[in-house]
Amino acid sequence: MIITKKKDRGKLLQTLDKYNSFYLIGCSECAALCGTGNDEALKEMAGDLQAKGKTVTGMIIPKTGCQTLGTKVELKKDKEALDNTDCIVVMSCGAGTQSAVEIYPDKAVYPSNDSLFLGNMTRFQMFDERCSLCGDCVIEKTGSICPVTNCPKGILNGPCGGMKDGNCEVSADIKCAWVRIYERQKKLGELDKMEEIIPAKDWSAKQGPHKLYTRGDKEAAGDSKKSKEKKEK
Amino acid sequence: MSFKEALESGKFVVTAEVGPPKGTDIAVMKHDMELLKGKLDAVNVTDNQSAVMRICSLAVCKLALEHGLEPILQMTCRDRNRIGLQSDLLGASVLGIHNVLCMTGDHVSAGDQKSARPVYDIESVQLLQVVNGLNNGKDMSGADLKGATSFFQGAVVTPESNPIEPQLMKFEKKVKAGARFFQTQAIYNIDKFKEFMAFARKFPVKILAGLVVLKSAGMANFLNNFVPGIKVPQELIDEMKAAGKEKALDTGLNITARHIKQLKEEKICDGVHIMAIGMEDKVPTILERAGLL
Ligand code: SF4
Ligand code: SF4
Repeated sequence: MIITKKKDRGKLLQTLDKYNSFYLIGCSECAALCGTGNDEALKEMAGDLQAKGKTVTGMIIPKTGCQTLGTKVELKKDKEALDNTDCIVVMSCGAGTQSAVEIYPDKAVYPSNDSLFLGNMTRFQMFDERCSLCGDCVIEKTGSICPVTNCPKGILNGPCGGMKDGNCEVSADIKCAWVRIYERQKKLGELDKMEEIIPAKDWSAKQGPHKLYTRGDKEAAGDSKKSKEKKEK
Repeated sequence: MSFKEALESGKFVVTAEVGPPKGTDIAVMKHDMELLKGKLDAVNVTDNQSAVMRICSLAVCKLALEHGLEPILQMTCRDRNRIGLQSDLLGASVLGIHNVLCMTGDHVSAGDQKSARPVYDIESVQLLQVVNGLNNGKDMSGADLKGATSFFQGAVVTPESNPIEPQLMKFEKKVKAGARFFQTQAIYNIDKFKEFMAFARKFPVKILAGLVVLKSAGMANFLNNFVPGIKVPQELIDEMKAAGKEKALDTGLNITARHIKQLKEEKICDGVHIMAIGMEDKVPTILERAGLL
């Protein structure tokens, strides 16, 4: 899921000050789990805006904010409120915010959150980054623990000299990713994997903006021809 | 005799480290270089050590050459992507700098530019492969170079790392990737170092033991507590304590000299790398006491 954090509320309200009426869009997926786009968060935002003398014409928590088409259908139901609004505030990740831009190209749209990373919720509202979407997954060679993400230097071939008693140079709070990989591969009897040099990564797979069409029908095929060939790999 | 020739001839080599200053005033560094001239087989020039921004290693290596010292260009992967690294390597080569020490580099969070975006496009093992490639006339994407480099490439290893196994596995990878010599993290326990050497001797590479001069018992405790991969044994700490404030530095110099002597006489490794950290001017004293001058 995409981990989001509320922006500084004072600064946000300052940015929004030139508008008078607002419509709020949350998201029932990641942002709801992060507490940045759920019912409570939206009500709090409405309260803050009203306290500044602003009007809130309506609010909605679409099923999946980054599902542009579905969100468009859901927003249709609230057409009137949206038409009477100067500004839409989207309380999801940056992707959800840009869904709103696509649906309402002529209206002001602002994000209320910062999108931080792709994370796992390990306990209620505790999020850890495990994958940074590098586009060229190597973890079949590293005991399915990602060194690109779990090592702050993204080292692919073993621990750096900064590792101290199994902990990371950058913070003693995290275990060195390569010690974790080593211990796991040792346990599984797969240390031979660690002897293999992993070559330099092909970062071109990470170059955005990405496009991927998996529909396989004519329309999608026509579209994907336009995108670069390497993206189809 | 070049650094490489010296190592290959079986001579016990001595290298030391020069840290480029932060700013354009290089008077002290020049003075140190004059002092070191003729006394070392090569001098390492650190690359924005501890992620603190300073004069670049490449420029100071050139200055070292001008002062009659053979430089070892330290190169980290923190600040440059593969284009920058290869381009600097070609630049070093045409300037007459032919030794390179390949490192991943301390993380920016340790340094003085904490908001920087760290690069780490590649890391130490891969950088060694790149140098190997350039020596064979190929860049990283496999294209032919107009004129190859002839680098003597080295890497670092931490014999006191805990746990040690993954560190030794990485050492092997570095050998496989083309490392010809290693300079170690500071070692203080010669008997333990012998254990590492028993392992390292299985590989066709030269090993220089890293030595950091102790200035006080407090510094020894600091190294033990805060610097990864360094373990100062209690008896050395006691020796420093016994020396008292006035004789502490002198005792530290003696310890380093004593270690050099032992490493050389017992043929434990192929040379030493002295990291004087701000006391480059004391290196000749150490070498004198070690009987190397
Ligand atoms: S290597 Fe790591 S960052 Fe890349 S796709 Fe796999 S898990 Fe994600
Ligand atoms: S200590 Fe381990 S996790 Fe931390 S930067 Fe070094 S290799 Fe990566």
